[in-house]
Amino acid sequence: MFEFAIAGIQAPIFLLMLTGFTVGIVGGFIGVGGGYMVTPALIVFGFPGYLASGIDATHMAGKAVVSSIRHRQLGNIDWTLALSMVAGTMLGVELGVRLLNYTKKLGISGVVLLACSVVVMLGLFIYTQLETRRAHKRLEQASLEGSHVGRELKTSTLHTFFQAIPLVPIVRCRTARVVVSMWVIVLVGVATGFLAGFLGVGGGFIRVPSLVYIVGATTHISVGTDLVEIVVSGGYGGLRQSMSGNVDMMAVLFMILGAMIGAQFGSIATAYVRGPAIRYILSYSLILATTGAFLRLLYVLTGQKIALLSFFAVVFTLGEMIFLCLFIVSLVIFSVLHTRGKKVPQWVAPLVVAATE
Amino acid sequence: MATTSRERAAIKFLFWTIASLAMIAYVFHSYRSGQMIRWYYYTADMDGYAVNADSFKDATGENPAVLAITDSDRIDGLMAVRVKKGERLPEHCNGIISKKALEEGKRVALEGDTIKVMVPWEIKESKGFKYKDSFKHKGIKTNPWSGAWNVAVVIALGICLGFMAEGFTDMLGWRIHKLHHFEGH
Repeated sequence: MFEFAIAGIQAPIFLLMLTGFTVGIVGGFIGVGGGYMVTPALIVFGFPGYLASGIDATHMAGKAVVSSIRHRQLGNIDWTLALSMVAGTMLGVELGVRLLNYTKKLGISGVVLLACSVVVMLGLFIYTQLETRRAHKRLEQASLEGSHVGRELKTSTLHTFFQAIPLVPIVRCRTARVVVSMWVIVLVGVATGFLAGFLGVGGGFIRVPSLVYIVGATTHISVGTDLVEIVVSGGYGGLRQSMSGNVDMMAVLFMILGAMIGAQFGSIATAYVRGPAIRYILSYSLILATTGAFLRLLYVLTGQKIALLSFFAVVFTLGEMIFLCLFIVSLVIFSVLHTRGKKVPQWVAPLVVAATE
Repeated sequence: MATTSRERAAIKFLFWTIASLAMIAYVFHSYRSGQMIRWYYYTADMDGYAVNADSFKDATGENPAVLAITDSDRIDGLMAVRVKKGERLPEHCNGIISKKALEEGKRVALEGDTIKVMVPWEIKESKGFKYKDSFKHKGIKTNPWSGAWNVAVVIALGICLGFMAEGFTDMLGWRIHKLHHFEGH
Protein backbone atom coordinates (compact mmCIF):
# COMPACT_ATOMS: atom_id res chain seq x y z
CA MET A 1 0.00 0.00 0.00
CA PHE A 2 1.22 3.49 -0.78
CA GLU A 3 0.01 6.64 0.92
CA PHE A 4 -0.99 9.11 -1.79
CA ALA A 5 -0.63 12.42 -0.01
CA ILE A 6 -2.44 14.48 -2.67
CA ALA A 7 -5.28 12.02 -3.30
CA GLY A 8 -5.52 11.42 0.43
CA ILE A 9 -5.96 7.68 0.10
CA GLN A 10 -3.96 4.48 0.43
CA ALA A 11 -3.90 2.26 -2.65
CA PRO A 12 -1.81 -0.76 -3.63
CA ILE A 13 1.03 0.10 -6.04
CA PHE A 14 0.66 -3.35 -7.59
CA LEU A 15 -2.92 -2.66 -8.72
CA LEU A 16 -1.97 0.69 -10.25
CA MET A 17 0.92 -0.87 -12.13
CA LEU A 18 -1.28 -3.77 -13.23
CA THR A 19 -3.90 -1.34 -14.54
CA GLY A 20 -1.17 0.57 -16.39
CA PHE A 21 0.18 -2.71 -17.76
CA THR A 22 -3.15 -4.03 -19.08
CA VAL A 23 -4.19 -0.69 -20.56
CA GLY A 24 -0.68 -0.40 -22.00
CA ILE A 25 -1.17 -3.69 -23.87
CA VAL A 26 -4.61 -2.74 -25.18
CA GLY A 27 -3.58 0.87 -25.95
CA GLY A 28 -0.40 -0.13 -27.75
CA PHE A 29 -2.32 -2.67 -29.83
CA ILE A 30 -5.44 -0.75 -30.86
CA GLY A 31 -4.14 2.81 -30.42
CA VAL A 32 -6.40 4.01 -27.66
CA GLY A 33 -5.65 5.87 -24.45
CA GLY A 34 -8.01 3.62 -22.51
CA GLY A 35 -9.70 6.40 -20.57
CA TYR A 36 -13.01 4.59 -20.57
CA MET A 37 -11.32 1.70 -18.75
CA VAL A 38 -8.84 3.49 -16.45
CA THR A 39 -11.09 6.14 -14.86
CA PRO A 40 -13.62 3.61 -13.49
CA ALA A 41 -10.76 1.33 -12.33
CA LEU A 42 -9.18 4.20 -10.36
CA ILE A 43 -12.52 5.06 -8.78
CA VAL A 44 -12.86 1.42 -7.72
CA PHE A 45 -9.39 1.66 -6.10
CA GLY A 46 -10.68 4.58 -4.03
CA PHE A 47 -9.56 7.66 -5.97
CA PRO A 48 -12.18 10.43 -6.10
CA GLY A 49 -13.83 10.86 -9.50
CA TYR A 50 -12.14 14.15 -10.43
CA LEU A 51 -8.67 12.80 -9.53
CA ALA A 52 -9.33 9.57 -11.46
CA SER A 53 -10.01 11.56 -14.66
CA GLY A 54 -6.93 13.76 -14.12
CA ILE A 55 -4.57 10.88 -13.37
CA ASP A 56 -5.92 9.02 -16.38
CA ALA A 57 -5.44 11.94 -18.80
CA THR A 58 -1.91 12.67 -17.56
CA HIS A 59 -0.66 9.07 -17.57
CA MET A 60 -2.14 8.68 -21.06
CA ALA A 61 0.37 11.20 -22.48
CA GLY A 62 3.36 9.31 -21.03
CA LYS A 63 2.03 5.94 -22.09
CA ALA A 64 1.35 7.19 -25.63
CA VAL A 65 4.97 8.45 -25.85
CA VAL A 66 6.27 4.99 -24.91
CA SER A 67 3.98 3.28 -27.46
CA SER A 68 4.77 5.85 -30.16
CA ILE A 69 8.51 5.20 -29.85
CA ARG A 70 7.92 1.50 -30.53
CA HIS A 71 5.42 2.15 -33.34
CA ARG A 72 7.96 4.52 -34.93
CA GLN A 73 10.41 1.61 -35.01
CA LEU A 74 7.72 -0.54 -36.67
CA GLY A 75 7.08 2.17 -39.28
CA ASN A 76 3.47 2.62 -38.12
CA ILE A 77 3.51 6.42 -37.83
CA ASP A 78 2.69 8.81 -40.64
CA TRP A 79 4.09 12.10 -39.32
CA THR A 80 2.44 14.22 -42.05
CA LEU A 81 -0.96 12.80 -41.18
CA ALA A 82 -0.34 13.14 -37.43
CA LEU A 83 0.88 16.73 -37.57
CA SER A 84 -1.87 17.79 -40.02
CA MET A 85 -4.47 16.53 -37.61
CA VAL A 86 -3.06 18.08 -34.41
CA ALA A 87 -4.60 21.56 -34.77
CA GLY A 88 -8.02 20.13 -35.64
CA THR A 89 -7.85 17.74 -32.69
CA MET A 90 -6.98 20.56 -30.25
CA LEU A 91 -9.80 22.74 -31.57
CA GLY A 92 -12.24 19.84 -31.37
CA VAL A 93 -11.21 18.94 -27.80
CA GLU A 94 -11.67 22.56 -26.69
CA LEU A 95 -15.14 22.73 -28.30
CA GLY A 96 -16.09 19.39 -26.75
CA VAL A 97 -14.97 20.48 -23.26
CA ARG A 98 -16.97 23.71 -23.61
CA LEU A 99 -20.11 21.81 -24.60
CA LEU A 100 -19.54 19.46 -21.66
CA ASN A 101 -19.27 22.43 -19.28
CA TYR A 102 -22.46 23.88 -20.78
CA THR A 103 -24.38 20.62 -20.19
CA LYS A 104 -22.96 20.61 -16.63
CA LYS A 105 -24.44 24.08 -16.10
CA LEU A 106 -27.79 22.76 -17.32
CA GLY A 107 -27.44 19.86 -14.90
CA ILE A 108 -27.85 17.19 -17.57
CA SER A 109 -24.19 16.25 -18.15
CA GLY A 110 -24.43 12.79 -16.53
CA VAL A 111 -27.30 11.48 -18.65
CA VAL A 112 -26.24 13.27 -21.87
CA LEU A 113 -22.66 12.03 -21.54
CA LEU A 114 -23.61 8.41 -20.96
CA ALA A 115 -26.30 8.46 -23.69
CA CYS A 116 -23.84 9.96 -26.22
CA SER A 117 -21.16 7.43 -25.24
CA VAL A 118 -23.60 4.57 -25.83
CA VAL A 119 -24.83 5.89 -29.21
CA VAL A 120 -21.35 6.76 -30.59
CA MET A 121 -19.67 3.58 -29.41
CA LEU A 122 -22.54 1.34 -30.51
CA GLY A 123 -22.57 2.94 -33.98
CA LEU A 124 -18.81 2.50 -34.34
CA PHE A 125 -19.02 -1.07 -33.08
CA ILE A 126 -21.70 -2.06 -35.62
CA TYR A 127 -19.85 -0.49 -38.57
CA THR A 128 -16.42 -1.82 -37.59
CA GLN A 129 -17.73 -5.28 -36.77
CA LEU A 130 -19.68 -5.68 -40.04
CA GLU A 131 -16.81 -4.37 -42.17
CA THR A 132 -14.22 -6.51 -40.39
CA ARG A 133 -16.34 -9.64 -40.72
CA ARG A 134 -16.51 -9.07 -44.48
CA ALA A 135 -12.75 -8.55 -44.60
CA HIS A 136 -12.23 -11.68 -42.50
CA LYS A 137 -14.33 -13.73 -44.93
CA ARG A 138 -12.32 -12.44 -47.87
CA LEU A 139 -9.09 -13.30 -46.07
CA GLU A 140 -10.38 -16.83 -45.42
CA GLN A 141 -11.30 -17.17 -49.09
CA ALA A 142 -7.88 -15.94 -50.21
CA SER A 143 -6.26 -18.32 -47.75
CA LEU A 144 -8.22 -21.27 -49.22
CA GLU A 145 -7.28 -20.21 -52.76
CA GLY A 146 -3.65 -20.00 -51.66
CA SER A 147 -3.24 -16.41 -52.85
CA HIS A 148 -0.91 -14.07 -50.99
CA VAL A 149 -2.53 -11.29 -48.96
CA GLY A 150 -0.66 -8.43 -47.32
CA ARG A 151 -1.08 -7.02 -43.84
CA GLU A 152 -4.14 -5.00 -44.66
CA LEU A 153 -7.49 -5.84 -46.14
CA LYS A 154 -10.58 -3.72 -45.77
CA THR A 155 -13.88 -3.89 -47.62
CA SER A 156 -15.08 -0.35 -46.90
CA THR A 157 -14.80 2.09 -49.81
CA LEU A 158 -15.89 5.13 -47.83
CA HIS A 159 -12.38 6.60 -47.97
CA THR A 160 -12.48 6.80 -51.78
CA PHE A 161 -15.26 9.38 -51.49
CA PHE A 162 -13.26 11.53 -49.06
CA GLN A 163 -10.02 11.14 -50.99
CA ALA A 164 -11.81 12.41 -54.12
CA ILE A 165 -12.70 15.76 -52.49
CA PRO A 166 -10.66 18.27 -54.54
CA LEU A 167 -10.26 21.03 -51.90
CA VAL A 168 -6.72 22.46 -51.78
CA PRO A 169 -4.26 22.05 -50.14
CA ILE A 170 -3.92 18.39 -51.01
CA VAL A 171 -1.65 16.48 -48.63
CA ARG A 172 0.52 13.53 -49.65
CA CYS A 173 1.05 11.19 -46.68
CA ARG A 174 3.98 9.07 -47.81
CA THR A 175 4.00 6.39 -45.11
CA ALA A 176 0.23 5.87 -45.28
CA ARG A 177 0.30 6.23 -49.10
CA VAL A 178 -2.70 8.49 -48.92
CA VAL A 179 -3.36 11.61 -50.98
CA VAL A 180 -6.20 13.59 -49.46
CA SER A 181 -7.38 17.15 -48.92
CA MET A 182 -5.94 18.76 -45.79
CA TRP A 183 -9.50 19.81 -44.91
CA VAL A 184 -10.61 16.19 -44.62
CA ILE A 185 -7.79 15.48 -42.14
CA VAL A 186 -8.50 18.67 -40.17
CA LEU A 187 -12.23 17.89 -40.07
CA VAL A 188 -11.54 14.35 -38.87
CA GLY A 189 -9.36 15.91 -36.14
CA VAL A 190 -12.06 18.42 -35.16
CA ALA A 191 -14.88 15.84 -35.15
CA THR A 192 -12.96 13.17 -33.24
CA GLY A 193 -11.42 15.77 -30.89
CA PHE A 194 -14.88 17.19 -30.21
CA LEU A 195 -16.28 13.79 -29.25
CA ALA A 196 -13.16 13.06 -27.18
CA GLY A 197 -13.41 16.36 -25.32
CA PHE A 198 -17.13 16.00 -24.76
CA LEU A 199 -16.99 12.38 -23.63
CA GLY A 200 -13.86 13.04 -21.54
CA VAL A 201 -11.69 10.40 -23.22
CA GLY A 202 -8.50 10.37 -25.33
CA GLY A 203 -10.53 9.73 -28.47
CA GLY A 204 -8.50 6.86 -29.92
CA PHE A 205 -11.51 4.59 -30.29
CA ILE A 206 -13.13 7.22 -32.54
CA ARG A 207 -9.97 8.38 -34.34
CA VAL A 208 -8.60 4.97 -35.35
CA PRO A 209 -11.77 3.93 -37.24
CA SER A 210 -11.94 7.45 -38.74
CA LEU A 211 -8.37 7.21 -40.01
CA VAL A 212 -9.08 3.77 -41.47
CA TYR A 213 -12.47 4.41 -43.02
CA ILE A 214 -12.46 8.13 -43.84
CA VAL A 215 -8.81 9.01 -44.50
CA GLY A 216 -7.99 5.56 -45.89
CA ALA A 217 -4.84 4.71 -43.91
CA THR A 218 -4.05 1.09 -43.05
CA THR A 219 -5.07 -0.10 -39.58
CA HIS A 220 -1.45 -0.40 -38.35
CA ILE A 221 -0.58 3.13 -39.49
CA SER A 222 -3.84 4.46 -38.03
CA VAL A 223 -2.93 2.96 -34.65
CA GLY A 224 0.62 4.41 -34.63
CA THR A 225 -0.49 7.80 -35.93
CA ASP A 226 -3.32 7.99 -33.43
CA LEU A 227 -0.91 7.36 -30.55
CA VAL A 228 1.00 10.50 -31.58
CA GLU A 229 -2.31 12.37 -31.43
CA ILE A 230 -2.89 10.95 -27.94
CA VAL A 231 0.48 12.38 -26.82
CA VAL A 232 -0.86 15.81 -27.82
CA SER A 233 -4.46 15.42 -26.61
CA GLY A 234 -3.37 13.57 -23.43
CA GLY A 235 -0.71 16.22 -22.75
CA TYR A 236 -3.24 19.01 -23.23
CA GLY A 237 -5.80 17.16 -21.08
CA GLY A 238 -3.13 16.52 -18.43
CA LEU A 239 -2.18 20.21 -18.42
CA ARG A 240 -5.78 21.33 -17.94
CA GLN A 241 -6.44 18.70 -15.29
CA SER A 242 -3.19 19.49 -13.43
CA MET A 243 -4.00 23.19 -13.42
CA SER A 244 -7.40 22.33 -11.94
CA GLY A 245 -5.69 20.29 -9.20
CA ASN A 246 -6.93 16.92 -10.42
CA VAL A 247 -3.62 15.03 -10.63
CA ASP A 248 -1.62 12.99 -8.11
CA MET A 249 1.74 12.54 -9.82
CA MET A 250 2.78 9.45 -7.83
CA ALA A 251 -0.27 7.56 -9.09
CA VAL A 252 0.63 8.72 -12.62
CA LEU A 253 4.22 7.52 -12.13
CA PHE A 254 3.20 4.02 -11.01
CA MET A 255 0.74 3.70 -13.87
CA ILE A 256 3.33 4.77 -16.45
CA LEU A 257 5.82 2.22 -15.09
CA GLY A 258 3.25 -0.54 -15.59
CA ALA A 259 2.19 0.86 -18.95
CA MET A 260 5.80 0.95 -20.14
CA ILE A 261 5.96 -2.86 -20.12
CA GLY A 262 2.42 -3.36 -21.40
CA ALA A 263 2.84 -0.82 -24.21
CA GLN A 264 5.92 -2.69 -25.49
CA PHE A 265 3.96 -5.90 -25.72
CA GLY A 266 0.89 -4.26 -27.25
CA SER A 267 2.87 -2.32 -29.85
CA ILE A 268 5.09 -5.24 -30.88
CA ALA A 269 2.02 -7.52 -30.99
CA THR A 270 0.70 -5.50 -33.95
CA ALA A 271 3.55 -6.98 -36.00
CA TYR A 272 2.00 -10.45 -35.57
CA VAL A 273 -1.44 -9.67 -36.94
CA ARG A 274 -3.25 -8.35 -40.00
CA GLY A 275 -5.32 -5.16 -39.95
CA PRO A 276 -8.70 -6.89 -39.44
CA ALA A 277 -7.45 -8.52 -36.21
CA ILE A 278 -6.75 -5.06 -34.74
CA ARG A 279 -10.15 -3.85 -35.91
CA TYR A 280 -11.82 -6.88 -34.29
CA ILE A 281 -10.19 -6.11 -30.93
CA LEU A 282 -11.15 -2.44 -31.33
CA SER A 283 -14.78 -3.35 -32.02
CA TYR A 284 -14.92 -5.75 -29.05
CA SER A 285 -13.47 -3.07 -26.79
CA LEU A 286 -16.20 -0.74 -28.07
CA ILE A 287 -19.08 -3.12 -27.37
CA LEU A 288 -17.76 -3.98 -23.89
CA ALA A 289 -17.32 -0.29 -23.05
CA THR A 290 -20.81 0.39 -24.48
CA THR A 291 -22.31 -2.29 -22.26
CA GLY A 292 -20.58 -0.78 -19.21
CA ALA A 293 -21.77 2.73 -20.13
CA PHE A 294 -25.30 1.44 -20.88
CA LEU A 295 -25.53 -0.21 -17.45
CA ARG A 296 -24.38 3.02 -15.80
CA LEU A 297 -26.95 4.94 -17.88
CA LEU A 298 -29.70 2.57 -16.68
CA TYR A 299 -28.43 3.00 -13.13
CA VAL A 300 -28.66 6.80 -13.40
CA LEU A 301 -32.06 6.71 -15.16
CA THR A 302 -33.53 4.41 -12.50
CA GLY A 303 -32.64 6.95 -9.81
CA GLN A 304 -29.49 5.08 -8.70
CA LYS A 305 -31.60 2.61 -6.76
CA ILE A 306 -30.62 -0.68 -8.41
CA ALA A 307 -27.12 -1.27 -7.01
CA LEU A 308 -26.72 -4.41 -9.11
CA LEU A 309 -26.57 -2.28 -12.29
CA SER A 310 -23.68 -0.25 -10.88
CA PHE A 311 -21.92 -3.46 -9.76
CA PHE A 312 -22.19 -5.06 -13.22
CA ALA A 313 -21.02 -1.81 -14.84
CA VAL A 314 -17.82 -2.08 -12.79
CA VAL A 315 -17.48 -5.78 -13.56
CA PHE A 316 -17.84 -5.13 -17.31
CA THR A 317 -15.38 -2.25 -17.29
CA LEU A 318 -12.68 -4.09 -15.37
CA GLY A 319 -13.41 -7.43 -17.06
CA GLU A 320 -12.98 -5.72 -20.42
CA MET A 321 -9.31 -4.98 -19.77
CA ILE A 322 -8.58 -8.60 -18.84
CA PHE A 323 -10.58 -10.01 -21.75
CA LEU A 324 -8.88 -7.79 -24.33
CA CYS A 325 -5.40 -8.53 -22.96
CA LEU A 326 -6.04 -12.28 -23.12
CA PHE A 327 -7.37 -11.91 -26.66
CA ILE A 328 -4.25 -10.02 -27.79
CA VAL A 329 -1.88 -12.49 -26.07
CA SER A 330 -3.77 -15.41 -27.68
CA LEU A 331 -3.43 -13.86 -31.14
CA VAL A 332 0.34 -13.48 -30.71
CA ILE A 333 0.67 -17.09 -29.50
CA PHE A 334 -1.44 -18.32 -32.43
CA SER A 335 0.66 -16.25 -34.82
CA VAL A 336 3.89 -17.83 -33.56
CA LEU A 337 2.36 -21.32 -33.74
CA HIS A 338 0.99 -20.67 -37.23
CA THR A 339 4.37 -19.39 -38.46
CA ARG A 340 5.98 -22.59 -37.13
CA GLY A 341 3.47 -24.67 -39.08
CA LYS A 342 1.50 -25.77 -36.01
CA LYS A 343 -2.27 -26.17 -36.05
CA VAL A 344 -4.32 -23.12 -35.01
CA PRO A 345 -8.11 -22.57 -35.02
CA GLN A 346 -9.43 -22.05 -38.54
CA TRP A 347 -10.75 -18.54 -37.89
CA VAL A 348 -7.39 -17.36 -36.54
CA ALA A 349 -5.16 -18.31 -39.46
CA PRO A 350 -6.24 -15.49 -41.83
CA LEU A 351 -5.89 -12.90 -39.07
CA VAL A 352 -2.28 -13.58 -38.11
CA VAL A 353 0.95 -13.12 -40.01
CA ALA A 354 4.67 -13.75 -39.47
CA ALA A 355 6.20 -10.82 -37.57
CA THR A 356 8.98 -10.45 -40.14
CA GLU A 357 6.58 -9.95 -43.08
CA MET B 1 29.90 -5.50 -36.93
CA ALA B 2 27.23 -7.28 -34.92
CA THR B 3 29.25 -6.78 -31.74
CA THR B 4 29.51 -3.05 -32.41
CA SER B 5 25.76 -2.91 -32.90
CA ARG B 6 25.19 -4.79 -29.61
CA GLU B 7 27.65 -2.53 -27.81
CA ARG B 8 25.85 0.54 -29.10
CA ALA B 9 22.55 -0.95 -27.98
CA ALA B 10 24.00 -1.68 -24.52
CA ILE B 11 25.21 1.93 -24.22
CA LYS B 12 21.78 3.15 -25.38
CA PHE B 13 20.04 0.94 -22.85
CA LEU B 14 22.39 2.00 -20.04
CA PHE B 15 22.04 5.70 -20.85
CA TRP B 16 18.25 5.65 -20.94
CA THR B 17 18.02 3.42 -17.87
CA ILE B 18 20.10 5.94 -15.89
CA ALA B 19 17.96 8.79 -17.27
CA SER B 20 14.74 6.92 -16.35
CA LEU B 21 15.96 6.14 -12.83
CA ALA B 22 17.02 9.76 -12.36
CA MET B 23 13.58 10.95 -13.47
CA ILE B 24 11.79 8.48 -11.17
CA ALA B 25 14.05 9.45 -8.23
CA TYR B 26 13.38 13.14 -8.92
CA VAL B 27 9.59 12.68 -8.99
CA PHE B 28 9.72 10.53 -5.86
CA HIS B 29 11.89 13.06 -4.03
CA SER B 30 9.67 16.00 -5.08
CA TYR B 31 6.65 14.12 -3.75
CA ARG B 32 8.18 12.89 -0.50
CA SER B 33 9.86 16.20 0.32
CA GLY B 34 6.49 17.94 0.09
CA GLN B 35 7.46 20.14 -2.88
CA MET B 36 4.69 18.75 -5.09
CA ILE B 37 2.18 18.99 -2.26
CA ARG B 38 3.10 22.65 -1.65
CA TRP B 39 2.53 23.32 -5.37
CA TYR B 40 -0.73 21.45 -5.21
CA TYR B 41 -2.18 23.22 -2.16
CA TYR B 42 -0.92 26.60 -3.31
CA THR B 43 -3.50 29.39 -2.88
CA ALA B 44 -7.07 29.76 -1.66
CA ASP B 45 -9.77 29.77 -4.32
CA MET B 46 -12.45 31.02 -1.93
CA ASP B 47 -12.86 32.87 1.33
CA GLY B 48 -13.05 30.53 4.31
CA TYR B 49 -10.97 28.56 6.79
CA ALA B 50 -7.90 26.57 5.76
CA VAL B 51 -7.81 23.17 7.48
CA ASN B 52 -6.12 19.79 7.38
CA ALA B 53 -9.11 17.58 6.54
CA ASP B 54 -7.26 14.42 7.61
CA SER B 55 -7.15 15.64 11.21
CA PHE B 56 -10.93 15.38 11.66
CA LYS B 57 -11.87 12.58 9.26
CA ASP B 58 -13.26 10.42 12.12
CA ALA B 59 -15.53 13.12 13.57
CA THR B 60 -19.24 12.34 13.91
CA GLY B 61 -22.42 14.17 14.92
CA GLU B 62 -22.18 12.56 18.37
CA ASN B 63 -18.44 13.10 18.67
CA PRO B 64 -17.65 16.27 16.66
CA ALA B 65 -14.13 17.59 16.10
CA VAL B 66 -13.44 21.11 17.40
CA LEU B 67 -10.97 23.19 15.38
CA ALA B 68 -9.27 26.18 17.04
CA ILE B 69 -9.20 29.27 14.78
CA THR B 70 -5.66 30.76 14.69
CA ASP B 71 -3.49 33.02 12.51
CA SER B 72 -0.65 30.53 12.18
CA ASP B 73 1.13 29.90 8.87
CA ARG B 74 1.22 26.21 9.64
CA ILE B 75 -1.62 23.82 10.53
CA ASP B 76 -0.90 21.21 13.20
CA GLY B 77 -3.85 18.96 13.92
CA LEU B 78 -7.19 20.47 14.90
CA MET B 79 -6.59 24.03 13.68
CA ALA B 80 -8.29 26.36 11.21
CA VAL B 81 -6.73 29.46 9.64
CA ARG B 82 -8.86 32.22 8.12
CA VAL B 83 -7.93 32.79 4.45
CA LYS B 84 -9.14 35.02 1.65
CA LYS B 85 -9.33 34.13 -2.04
CA GLY B 86 -5.90 34.36 -3.67
CA GLU B 87 -3.89 34.13 -0.42
CA ARG B 88 -1.12 31.55 -0.01
CA LEU B 89 -2.29 28.56 1.99
CA PRO B 90 -0.63 27.69 5.31
CA GLU B 91 1.63 24.64 5.48
CA HIS B 92 -0.12 21.24 5.91
CA CYS B 93 -3.42 22.74 4.71
CA ASN B 94 -5.29 20.41 2.34
CA GLY B 95 -8.73 21.98 2.09
CA ILE B 96 -10.92 24.94 2.87
CA ILE B 97 -14.16 25.03 4.79
CA SER B 98 -16.21 27.61 2.92
CA LYS B 99 -18.24 30.38 4.53
CA LYS B 100 -21.29 28.92 2.78
CA ALA B 101 -20.84 25.55 4.51
CA LEU B 102 -20.52 27.33 7.86
CA GLU B 103 -23.64 29.38 7.22
CA GLU B 104 -25.61 26.24 6.29
CA GLY B 105 -24.46 24.64 9.55
CA LYS B 106 -25.29 21.09 8.43
CA ARG B 107 -21.78 19.69 8.31
CA VAL B 108 -19.80 22.37 10.16
CA ALA B 109 -20.68 25.21 12.51
CA LEU B 110 -18.90 28.33 13.77
CA GLU B 111 -18.90 28.52 17.57
CA GLY B 112 -16.95 31.51 18.93
CA ASP B 113 -13.26 30.98 18.18
CA THR B 114 -13.78 27.38 17.11
CA ILE B 115 -15.31 25.42 14.26
CA LYS B 116 -17.29 22.32 15.10
CA VAL B 117 -17.13 19.54 12.45
CA MET B 118 -20.04 17.11 12.60
CA VAL B 119 -20.01 15.53 9.09
CA PRO B 120 -16.42 15.36 7.75
CA TRP B 121 -17.37 13.47 4.58
CA GLU B 122 -20.35 12.43 2.47
CA ILE B 123 -20.90 9.70 -0.10
CA LYS B 124 -21.21 11.17 -3.60
CA GLU B 125 -21.36 9.71 -7.11
CA SER B 126 -19.35 10.28 -10.27
CA LYS B 127 -20.14 8.53 -13.55
CA GLY B 128 -22.25 6.03 -11.63
CA PHE B 129 -19.51 5.27 -9.06
CA LYS B 130 -19.69 6.13 -5.38
CA TYR B 131 -16.83 7.87 -3.56
CA LYS B 132 -16.12 9.69 -0.27
CA ASP B 133 -16.35 13.45 -0.67
CA SER B 134 -14.67 15.35 2.19
CA PHE B 135 -13.40 18.90 2.75
CA LYS B 136 -10.09 17.80 1.28
CA HIS B 137 -9.20 19.57 -2.02
CA LYS B 138 -12.13 21.95 -1.58
CA GLY B 139 -11.47 25.61 -2.39
CA ILE B 140 -7.78 25.19 -3.13
CA LYS B 141 -5.92 26.39 -6.20
CA THR B 142 -2.90 24.64 -7.66
CA ASN B 143 0.21 26.51 -8.76
CA PRO B 144 -0.50 26.97 -12.49
CA TRP B 145 3.14 26.17 -13.35
CA SER B 146 2.85 22.77 -11.71
CA GLY B 147 0.53 21.73 -14.56
CA ALA B 148 3.21 22.43 -17.16
CA TRP B 149 5.79 20.76 -14.90
CA ASN B 150 3.61 17.61 -14.56
CA VAL B 151 3.12 17.26 -18.30
CA ALA B 152 6.81 17.95 -19.05
CA VAL B 153 7.87 15.31 -16.51
CA VAL B 154 5.39 12.74 -17.83
CA ILE B 155 6.50 13.23 -21.44
CA ALA B 156 10.21 13.20 -20.48
CA LEU B 157 9.65 10.03 -18.47
CA GLY B 158 7.80 8.46 -21.42
CA ILE B 159 10.74 9.29 -23.72
CA CYS B 160 13.28 7.83 -21.26
CA LEU B 161 11.28 4.64 -20.68
CA GLY B 162 10.46 4.24 -24.38
CA PHE B 163 14.08 4.46 -25.49
CA MET B 164 15.20 2.32 -22.56
CA ALA B 165 12.84 -0.43 -23.76
CA GLU B 166 14.05 0.02 -27.34
CA GLY B 167 17.68 -0.22 -26.16
CA PHE B 168 16.82 -3.35 -24.18
CA THR B 169 15.40 -5.25 -27.17
CA ASP B 170 18.26 -4.02 -29.38
CA MET B 171 20.76 -5.24 -26.79
CA LEU B 172 19.15 -8.69 -26.78
CA GLY B 173 19.62 -8.72 -30.55
CA TRP B 174 15.87 -8.67 -31.12
CA ARG B 175 15.84 -6.22 -33.98
CA ILE B 176 12.38 -4.92 -34.72
CA HIS B 177 12.01 -4.13 -38.38
CA LYS B 178 9.65 -1.81 -40.16
CA LEU B 179 6.50 -3.60 -41.31
CA HIS B 180 5.77 -4.06 -44.99
CA HIS B 181 2.35 -2.47 -44.94
CA PHE B 182 1.64 -2.63 -48.64
CA GLU B 183 3.19 -5.93 -49.71
CA GLY B 184 0.59 -8.16 -51.39
CA HIS B 185 -1.68 -5.25 -52.32
